[in-house]
Amino acid sequence: MSTRFRTLTPALTAATALLATLVVAAALLALGGYPPGDAFAALFRGAFGTWDRFVSFTLVRATPLLLTGLAIAFAFRARVWNIGAEGQLHAGALAAVAVAVALPGAHGLVVIPATLLAAAAAGALWASAPAAMKTGMGVGEVITTLLMNFVALFMAQFLVQGPLREDRGVFNQTNEIPPAAHLPDLIPGTRLHLGFLIGILIAIALWLYLTRTPGGFRLRAVGASPRAAEVSGRFRAQPVVWLAFLASGAIAGLAGGVQVAGVTHRMYEGLSPGWGYTAIAVALLARLNPLAVVVTAIVFGALSAGGGAMQRDAGVPEVWVRGIEALVILAVLAVDRSWQALTSRGSRG
Amino acid sequence: MRDALRLRGVTRRFGPVIALDEVDFALAPGEIHGLLGENGAGKTTLARVAAGILQPDAGRVEIGGQPLGNGGVGVARALGVAMVHQHFSLVPRFTGFENVALFDVAAWTRRGTLRSGYRDRVEARAGELRLAVELDAPIRGLGVVARQRVEILKALMGDTRVLLLDEPTAVLAPQEVEGLFAVLRQVARAGAGIVLVAHKLDEVLAAADRVTVLRRGQWVMTRAAAEVSARELAEAMVGAGVGVRGGGGVEATAGGARAPEFGAAAGDVVAELRDVTVAAGGSLPLRGVSMQVRRGEILGIAGVGGNGQRTLAAVLAGMRLPDSGEVQLPEEVGWIPQDRTNEGLVNEFTISENVAFAVHDRSEYRKGPWLDWAGVEETASALVRDMDVRADSPAVTASVLSGGNQQKVVTGREFLRSGNLLVAESPTRGLDVKATLAVRARIGEIARSGGRPPGVVLISADLDEVLELSDRIAVMVRGRLIPVPREDHNPAAIGELMLSARREGAP
Repeated sequence: MSTRFRTLTPALTAATALLATLVVAAALLALGGYPPGDAFAALFRGAFGTWDRFVSFTLVRATPLLLTGLAIAFAFRARVWNIGAEGQLHAGALAAVAVAVALPGAHGLVVIPATLLAAAAAGALWASAPAAMKTGMGVGEVITTLLMNFVALFMAQFLVQGPLREDRGVFNQTNEIPPAAHLPDLIPGTRLHLGFLIGILIAIALWLYLTRTPGGFRLRAVGASPRAAEVSGRFRAQPVVWLAFLASGAIAGLAGGVQVAGVTHRMYEGLSPGWGYTAIAVALLARLNPLAVVVTAIVFGALSAGGGAMQRDAGVPEVWVRGIEALVILAVLAVDRSWQALTSRGSRG
Repeated sequence: MRDALRLRGVTRRFGPVIALDEVDFALAPGEIHGLLGENGAGKTTLARVAAGILQPDAGRVEIGGQPLGNGGVGVARALGVAMVHQHFSLVPRFTGFENVALFDVAAWTRRGTLRSGYRDRVEARAGELRLAVELDAPIRGLGVVARQRVEILKALMGDTRVLLLDEPTAVLAPQEVEGLFAVLRQVARAGAGIVLVAHKLDEVLAAADRVTVLRRGQWVMTRAAAEVSARELAEAMVGAGVGVRGGGGVEATAGGARAPEFGAAAGDVVAELRDVTVAAGGSLPLRGVSMQVRRGEILGIAGVGGNGQRTLAAVLAGMRLPDSGEVQLPEEVGWIPQDRTNEGLVNEFTISENVAFAVHDRSEYRKGPWLDWAGVEETASALVRDMDVRADSPAVTASVLSGGNQQKVVTGREFLRSGNLLVAESPTRGLDVKATLAVRARIGEIARSGGRPPGVVLISADLDEVLELSDRIAVMVRGRLIPVPREDHNPAAIGELMLSARREGAP
């Protein structure tokens, strides 16, 4: 198989997956009595219809997916199966609110970095428990990172219902963070905030790290074969695994902090509709390439923005919208696997 | 009389490794045929090809004169082939009888109920074979001997003409081995041919009518057991005087006349172990190993695989700290690990990336924080050229290279680290003759190179290789390193030392 074809493959995967989903979703919508044409038109308009829809909805919704998707992609490259981005995101959001609320009079240049750093630190901290269990005792991180999600979710629930509940005491949410802590808008007149730019910069940084630095080479080697890394590379896999956990947790935590500081300005139950899990599909669809994560995150952001419009404009109930999103994820995984099987057979022949 | 089993020119590859290389093999009915060879010689592969589990890449398998074709296990079984694997395949919760019935198509009616009278047939068969089998106890409560008997009965329930046993004695105590052989003789008297895969010489000589020796996937000899000595077999297994000879080319390059006396011509000491002991924590132990390696010499370490060589290599490479004793090593050590596909290379990495393992943390391959990939690529290109790697460019993925070319990449990369010391662990295992010669020649060259050549430690179970390349030789025996005096540098003497290791090594 030619090199050119191979570099095209990820794009083909993504396109095929989306096309397959479109067909199945159209059939389902038709069965449910919703004209697929109208529904898809609404979806497209909702995601890309106007400049503002694209920037203020699609890109804003893509931002947490971008950051969590990068977190997953980076960990997976080191063969660290971090399923805990959801929990790390919650930890980050809580820390961000706590720090921002604690600095009421501070200037933005102080409080914003402090908030985001706290979020990243909390995410890394949340990932460090599974990291310690894996490197110290050999406990599989798939289970531990997943279980840490529940701990984080219930902890967040407890805090917003009790200790961190807003002073008004009306809703199960925290106080609003001071305006100085709000992330500045990236494009005036839209709702797109600094967090999106942060995501892009991190994507570039991760890509450079993985492809251009000795450390990134080591990380990829550990991900490809820990035994070969130790014997051929004469370096220990363990520090690399730690780095992957901590960096991944920090980026996922940052996603929570960015969401709080950029969009919601407070923490409440159900802050994330499962971004940390959708992020796995985002990362896999991007073939764990940080730059491609930018694209796939925007695709999923569009799906989310368009899904809302489909509900509102075409009258498709929310459960259907969610179902279609789930279909995309399934299609991506299925198409990705079959492409891998096809290409590996092709390259051996 | 027709052969019970016949292999004609059977070749079987696993990726780049040739497990069987045009092997011929004949098994007569009523014969116990011992199949001997080192680990990795191809014994188990041969048995599995005969059982239809693996398909040969070339050549034919005939059972009782009928071609097996690509029919697989089902056809082989229908033709009367049964195999007892080294690791038993019994359902632990089921009783012996249930396990026998589970495996036997003839036990069941069309509707899936047990045929009436099947129990009697099982008991009758066990009686014929004089096999005392515990039929009614669950397998998990049984000892190894009882389990093995269930396996054998299971294999012999049908009209079995060929019985293949893969290392059946490995799990048995010496007294139990005699019991097994009595059973096998009974089975053979009933007319079935038996292939007994083993690596303990004396056992095979005691049980077998004929013996075939494989080495590096090639047939070496078939002899009547009564007419062959243990020493002859040992030599055939480890390759002294038979099989793949290194050939004159390598010896000429390697210059057999160098460094006639220990230390006389060699340079300064580059590595030294003094009374090094490693306890058996997950790997085979080292017991009081002392050695010196000097510049410009090749120290050959012979021995049957699994006597501590891997541990020694890891200590020499600085990857394992000893529990006691002193180790002096150069800062960087070249290490050609035994398991090239899993340890020596990352298969999905390119040649350049695999070469980067040796240089990625060197300052001359850094540009600020960045790894100088252009520099790495240049080094990899030079390596591809110098080592004669058959690849279009260093951007080729390692997994598409043949075994020999993969090993050339690993060897070349480790040369980059071998300013002072090179440890080569079974560097030609699984390679074809041409690649074997090339890799041996390179290892010979680096030790003979002018200026400041490194010291080389060559660890190999291949006696030919050790004799051909080494200035000094030691044998690894159960974690001890026994120096071989110069006058004993011959296959017979060294083979005997290696063999004594095996006898001692038996549990």
